[in-house]
Amino acid sequence: MKKFEKKMFRPGMKPAEIVNKLRNLDGVAITCTGMRDAGQSDYKNRHRIYDLKLLAPYYEEMNLFSSECHGGARWHVGVMNRKEDPFEEIEILRERMPSVMLQTLIRETNLFGYRPYPKNVIEYVVQRVDIDVWRCFSFLNDVRNMRAVAEVVMKRGRLFQPAISFTQSDWTTNEYYLSVVKDIVDLCAGTDEIVLCIKDMAGVGSPERISSLVDAIKQKYPDLVIQYHRHATDGLAMPALLAAAKAGAKVLDAEEDSLTRFYGQAPILALQAYLEESGINVLLDREMAEKAVQKVREWIGHYEWAESPFKGFDHTVTSHRMPGGAFPSSFEQAEKGGFLHLMPAILKVMSLYNKIVKYFDVTPGSQITWVTCSGIVNKYAKEKGEAGVQHVIDLLTKLVEEKNQNFKAMSEEEQAELLKLFATAPGDFKNLLLGGYGRLPMGWPDEWVYRSAFGEEWKEKLKERKEVSPLEQLKDDNLDQIRNDLADAIGRKPTEEEFILYLMHPKDALGIIEFREQYGDTPLVLPTNVWREGLKNPGDKVEFILWGQPYCIELVSIGSEHEGIIHVVMKVNNKTRVYTVETPRAKKVEIRMAKGPEEIGAPINGNLWRIGNPDRGAIKVGDVVHKGEEIANLEAMKMENAILAPFDGVVKEIAVKLNDSVQEGQLLFVLEKK
Amino acid sequence: MENKIKKILVANRGVPAVRIMHTCRDLKISTVAIYSTPDRLSHHVMVADKGVHIGEAPPIESYLNKEKIIDTALKEKADAIHPGWGFLAENAEFAQMVKDAGLIWIGPEPAVIRSMGDKIEAKKIAIRANVPTIPGISDVKDVKQIKEWMKNEQVTYPIMIKASAGGGGKGMVKVEKDSELAGALEQARSEARKAFDDDKLLAEKYIERGRHIEVQIVADMHGNVYHLCERECTLQRRNQKIIEEAPSPSLNDNLRNEICFTAVRLMREIGYTTAGTVEFIFDSETQKFYFLEVNTRLQVEHGVTELITGLDIVELMIDVARGKKFCFKQADVHPNRWALEVRINAEDPKTFAPSFGTITRLQIPQGPGVRIAQGVYEGADIPPYYDSLFMLLLTAGRNRDSAIRAMDRTLSRNLRIEGIKTITPLLLAIIRHKAFQAGNFSTKFIENHMDELISMFRVKDAQDEALKIAEYVAKISALGPQEWM
Repeated sequence: MKKFEKKMFRPGMKPAEIVNKLRNLDGVAITCTGMRDAGQSDYKNRHRIYDLKLLAPYYEEMNLFSSECHGGARWHVGVMNRKEDPFEEIEILRERMPSVMLQTLIRETNLFGYRPYPKNVIEYVVQRVDIDVWRCFSFLNDVRNMRAVAEVVMKRGRLFQPAISFTQSDWTTNEYYLSVVKDIVDLCAGTDEIVLCIKDMAGVGSPERISSLVDAIKQKYPDLVIQYHRHATDGLAMPALLAAAKAGAKVLDAEEDSLTRFYGQAPILALQAYLEESGINVLLDREMAEKAVQKVREWIGHYEWAESPFKGFDHTVTSHRMPGGAFPSSFEQAEKGGFLHLMPAILKVMSLYNKIVKYFDVTPGSQITWVTCSGIVNKYAKEKGEAGVQHVIDLLTKLVEEKNQNFKAMSEEEQAELLKLFATAPGDFKNLLLGGYGRLPMGWPDEWVYRSAFGEEWKEKLKERKEVSPLEQLKDDNLDQIRNDLADAIGRKPTEEEFILYLMHPKDALGIIEFREQYGDTPLVLPTNVWREGLKNPGDKVEFILWGQPYCIELVSIGSEHEGIIHVVMKVNNKTRVYTVETPRAKKVEIRMAKGPEEIGAPINGNLWRIGNPDRGAIKVGDVVHKGEEIANLEAMKMENAILAPFDGVVKEIAVKLNDSVQEGQLLFVLEKK
Repeated sequence: MENKIKKILVANRGVPAVRIMHTCRDLKISTVAIYSTPDRLSHHVMVADKGVHIGEAPPIESYLNKEKIIDTALKEKADAIHPGWGFLAENAEFAQMVKDAGLIWIGPEPAVIRSMGDKIEAKKIAIRANVPTIPGISDVKDVKQIKEWMKNEQVTYPIMIKASAGGGGKGMVKVEKDSELAGALEQARSEARKAFDDDKLLAEKYIERGRHIEVQIVADMHGNVYHLCERECTLQRRNQKIIEEAPSPSLNDNLRNEICFTAVRLMREIGYTTAGTVEFIFDSETQKFYFLEVNTRLQVEHGVTELITGLDIVELMIDVARGKKFCFKQADVHPNRWALEVRINAEDPKTFAPSFGTITRLQIPQGPGVRIAQGVYEGADIPPYYDSLFMLLLTAGRNRDSAIRAMDRTLSRNLRIEGIKTITPLLLAIIRHKAFQAGNFSTKFIENHMDELISMFRVKDAQDEALKIAEYVAKISALGPQEWM
């Protein structure tokens, strides 16, 4: 085994230095995807930083090119489901593996969200995320869209890793890809400061095909460093990775063997052995890698529930092309939606659809494909049953395979049916057709697709279609305004990190902020079984350290449900506490809160001891009140608080009774302005 | 001849009731507590030897119900009644009724209470005794009268409208401009009626940036009138003191002597007996002090004086009521510490909105130099009907710095009050503020520095954070994996 320099790639290295080291590397380096894509592909992104961080000390010594630990859907799932803040994750990993380059996966205009952002949002966000290697892709291979990210990353002195989205199809030829690579090299002013990624997100590149592509790129750009990212879905990952390395790829993606299932990356130890047997050196500390693989086994058992219900390799991916990351979540949706049995039909329709509308099945394209195709199949299934599903497959097969997509060659009846096919397609599909995401790699789809999607309006819509990049289409967002909106929503000044979460996912950002305010550092300190299941039996306990002090929570008892309430008795650091947990059946006592300007709320908690004032006596519905007039008085702890009419008006409603105890903000009066 | 006191009925609740019962216990005097319906399981009831139900929640039916309280005292064969502070403590009519019933009133003579309780009368006496006073007008009836007075005596806003019978910030309303006058008058009158059963009002020029200094007086029935030094009570919000200390950091020894002996002179003039306080407003710019009022009762902040002098003021009050002569002289009073008191109120520290409910956890850090006076126990309720004060924290040290340090430790380390909001974060912010530490502040300090003080609130507390985690564990243990997971 060859002896390499230890910790060869470290944060803080200049991009040119990284590229030079890779060019001169006698062998290949590894990006470990154990902290991101492995979890995304086979475990619905549920791997918690609580467990992942245990791998960091090994990564620190493994001599990796980088650790892909950030971005993709992990970002959103963290905010939405794991209640982990992606900024916090970076901090935790930086502390535990300071010498490892952290890598993210980012969509060129959608960043970590699902809609194209204007340039100022992209610049703002990319500027503020502490990541060393920025893998950036476009599901349309529209390199124009990458400009904003590329500029900020390169200016910051971090490594930009433009990716070409790869699929195997009659139109994705070497010639096509060379034109994309040319655009990239032009955008990045040469090959000296970038690493090019071939992103085989569905795991479809056959060894011959990949070898040929890498070779073609190397022939034209001998100095361009190539990284091959490949999922294992088709079952051919290992030979394809070897083929790529032999053809000149310098970095390969892999994950811990103990993490591998079917749709993620190749097993790291096996890959190293396989490449070395073939005479290719691998930059990897075997001993440490083995320890990391072993460490995974300590916690991976907690995630069985998150694994895909659809198991096993799937070579038909080469036609339906669903990417690794989308596999488990799609099956999960199908299972939840009760249409798991339709999956083969949906995959078949997808393989026909992606010949009609040509782009790459990766976020957000894969979601557009999935929602559109599963929608079509479900609609036929509902209306006409199994026969209907078979019918739509036959119809599309005829159009694509028999008639070579010549719409006019279809019968009148078939044409009419096709013209209804996309009528209920999702808005994102329609936006895609109108250029909202950028240019499609093989040009716009046929006219009938527009007629089908937009009906009678299709001609006007066609005129709206944009040829320029969304970067040029979108007006800058008013960041101050958005920040103020967030401050209003949470009732305080947000942190910079909270603001970025909100920019990407407004609703879910509010969700995590609320969750963390209520439950604090829970997601960071609880072991995964307790996080998911709580404590089961009396005497079960969970121990953790919080801010330097030890804590122990022990379950004493869980009461039975009574009127929607369960009492849980626990000992927290030996002190007994009773917790009242509301079940979804709990009766909610609704307290109406004052909202609009005409609704007068209680300024404090207190006792409403007077409605009206001593001069005029009690006030009733229908009475006229004047601005500044006292309309009620609240007493709390012997202090009186006058409630004054904010304007001249008529009392429309009195929402409380005399001597009611009212809460701060509770609706007291509705006044109608005069 | 000495009056016999073997059993005392304490006509109060919460902190003052408990405080008085502690001394009674020391003196082997048995105690009777009274309680309203929501106070049935209150702390003061448990501390007493016997508890008697006195009426429903509204004070007028319970702790202000004079006849019933006296009936109870008679029925329970109490020898004396101690009123504590608040409620009937400064009600001359009640004091007279107590005496008429043949019971001992632990407080000054009803006539003294009456004359001092009437702020207008008190001011007249002060003028007569050559004690400097603030311009003002008594027996305010309406807006017109106030405006005329302001015009005649060239008084400008702000002014303060006060209940003649008042104290403790109740029935006190500050007025900044003409348009507020009518509403303020009405509010003061209504609050005065409710809190003191007396709606007489007065109006005074309000001194901006004044400091509030008061002198503790004790006097026996044998002509001995002593001062126990002064207290500084400048830090107030809504005219209610929240931090007090003794001695005052604003006085030099000359001024201290002058203010203390002025107070003694006045009290001697009145013929005062038992414990009482002369309050002054001190203008630190001109170094002048003005008479404000006499509090004819034990005060909330008496504890800081006890800490610096080593005397028990409640014990002295009982001694006086027994007719004993003081066994010490003015020259024997040697304060040799610095003491600080903070009031733990059940209020939101930012808005001061009252926060009542159950105290689900109460953990009080003891330690060197700390004295705690609490009116509640863990699990007790804070009902909405009464005062928001439920605990006093006092610290003492050899000088101001060490008293502040002990207070900082007490407030910031492991003081846990769960279930209700308290003003603790505000108190901690104040004692950590540079101006407070330098002794440089006025009665406006809190309102002028509120935003800054709020920004000093500690955002997170480790134990609170651990409890959030426990709350999550409880929820998931009861409900199982959640939909969003």
